[in-house]
Amino acid sequence: MMGMDEKRGSAFPEGGVLETPKKTLFQENWSLFRKNRLAMAGLVIFVAFFIIALTGLFLTYGRNPYFNPALVRLQEKLRPPLSKPNLETLKPEEVPRLGIYLFGTDDLGRDVFSRMLQGSWVSLTVGFVAVSIAVVIGIFLGGIAGYYGHWRVLGLFSVDVLITGLIDIMLCFPSFFLILTVVALLPASIYNIMIVIGLTSWMGAARFVRAEFLSLRELDFVTAAKALGVSDWRIIFRHMVPNAMAPVLVSATIGIATAILTEAGLSFLGFGVPPPDATWGNILSNGKNFLFDAPWLTFIPGFAVLIVVLAFNLFGEGLRDVLNPKLKERH
Amino acid sequence: MLAFLGRSLIQKIITLFFVSVISFLIIYLAPGEPSQIDPLNPKFTQEVLERFRKEFHLDEPLYKQYYIFYRDLLTGKSVSWKDNRPVLRKIYERFLNSLPLFILGTLITWTLSFPVGIHAAIRRGSFYDRSTTFLAYLLISIPGFFFAYMLIIFVVTQFHVPVIGMETFGLSPRGLFIPLMDRVWHLLLPSILFAAGGIAVLSRYVRNQMLEVESQDYVRTAKAKGLPPDKVHYKHALRNALLPFVTMFGLVLPGLIGGSVIIESIFSWPGMGRMAYEAILARDYPVILTVNFISAILVLVGTFISDLLYMVVDPRIRL
Repeated sequence: MMGMDEKRGSAFPEGGVLETPKKTLFQENWSLFRKNRLAMAGLVIFVAFFIIALTGLFLTYGRNPYFNPALVRLQEKLRPPLSKPNLETLKPEEVPRLGIYLFGTDDLGRDVFSRMLQGSWVSLTVGFVAVSIAVVIGIFLGGIAGYYGHWRVLGLFSVDVLITGLIDIMLCFPSFFLILTVVALLPASIYNIMIVIGLTSWMGAARFVRAEFLSLRELDFVTAAKALGVSDWRIIFRHMVPNAMAPVLVSATIGIATAILTEAGLSFLGFGVPPPDATWGNILSNGKNFLFDAPWLTFIPGFAVLIVVLAFNLFGEGLRDVLNPKLKERH
Repeated sequence: MLAFLGRSLIQKIITLFFVSVISFLIIYLAPGEPSQIDPLNPKFTQEVLERFRKEFHLDEPLYKQYYIFYRDLLTGKSVSWKDNRPVLRKIYERFLNSLPLFILGTLITWTLSFPVGIHAAIRRGSFYDRSTTFLAYLLISIPGFFFAYMLIIFVVTQFHVPVIGMETFGLSPRGLFIPLMDRVWHLLLPSILFAAGGIAVLSRYVRNQMLEVESQDYVRTAKAKGLPPDKVHYKHALRNALLPFVTMFGLVLPGLIGGSVIIESIFSWPGMGRMAYEAILARDYPVILTVNFISAILVLVGTFISDLLYMVVDPRIRL
């Protein structure tokens, strides 16, 4: 959080002598954050998920992966979790790597553990890429509206009116329905989903950045920077954006959770990633046909989504509490 | 006040116009035409295709199609491309099916959220507060479809009642009680699912709002002069904390359409969400666009009502 200290500055102690604060802002925030046990749990799960997804990518990627998520063993279908493979019916290369089906197998005898590993990477990238797109658009449009808001386009409307109008228009669309429509009309691909989720969820970030910029614009350090002849570009990105990032960061963290849920919902309805590749949503979607015979096909991906989304939400809320200066004064 | 209303109305109409243009463009510029929905069907010869395109004005330039579509919609003449029935009528039928779900779901949300949120705020930091907080996060984070299947497994194995659809098919219509209970069971699960996310969000919001008011000076004054705690909480604090929620009555309107797609398809509930989903699958443009248009109207009307209510209840912002 560099640049943040510009806004708050250091307090004058009683003696009137300026002292440097004992802790940096980051240390102060971190010690506050650690007190929030739920948020810490969220952070730990978040990091673990990141590592699992990354190793999952390496272990399931390529033509001959270590864990093969697409290997069909029809004779071993719908085996419950932790069951041992029937070695007599399997070719040596078909035997699961761990010696057991850790999470069982699905209706085609594919190893659910490998599929979950593959799906974790999909969930992670969808969440991060979609939110990155949303945040970039949000900072860009919100920044323009906040900083250049008084400019007029064609002498008629101010930039601010145009951009807030665009935000209002976008908020009128029922978001899940819009995403569903676009994804259904476009060819099935994971990139389309990321882009569509990103393009339909930037409004929150834009509003936050605009509001922050409107107040930051009037502050002394911006005036000082202008007086020094710093370029607009540098004022915006070096001085103002870091100060406006706190609410954006919080909404981005929670946005990742929402994006993962949206992707799972799309996969569930059959509009997600095309079939051979696994996502948590389509594992669950396949599993619903065997709800009573093979409940693990529903529960394993369901709980995985739940835990990851919960972790992001808790982490985001913890971040909000820490970055909220109002709450800080009470401690 | 009239000036404010007029300005707001004009602004909303402009917004609605742009929404109609954008949703039209999104759908018409997407790759693939509705005439190509079934390319393998031998009955679709070139001539039939041409006739199809002419019938639905797909051969006209885009601006003309836009004009034709919204003219038909506003005069109530637009028909579904799938079964040639009037779109508004079709939506109205499905709307009637969605309505009980919406009403019961909203009732559950509002009646549960307030007590939970208020209690959590009054007993801040207690076990009750922390556990409801965690529960709220759990409800926000759980995928709706997963929650739905957990509930289905639970209800079906514990109570042995069918829950899919609006009523049990082929149930003899004798008596009043059995069909009624059947209806209630079918209605219950989707309504709970409909309410789950709402409860989580609203109860947190109530709690935060209540905490905000509880830290005000006048509440401290009320406590300091020795009023009983109940009076302080419910008379001084709660009344002021309730203000923003009056406006939320307007904002529940869009919930009529959004958010119900997944739940309605799981429960085979013939409501608006499922109709929209089926329309997307069949590339039934008039239905998709009309649903979009109506939901945009609902959002705008909802914000308009909430602005209005805010002005009525809070004299501080009367413009």
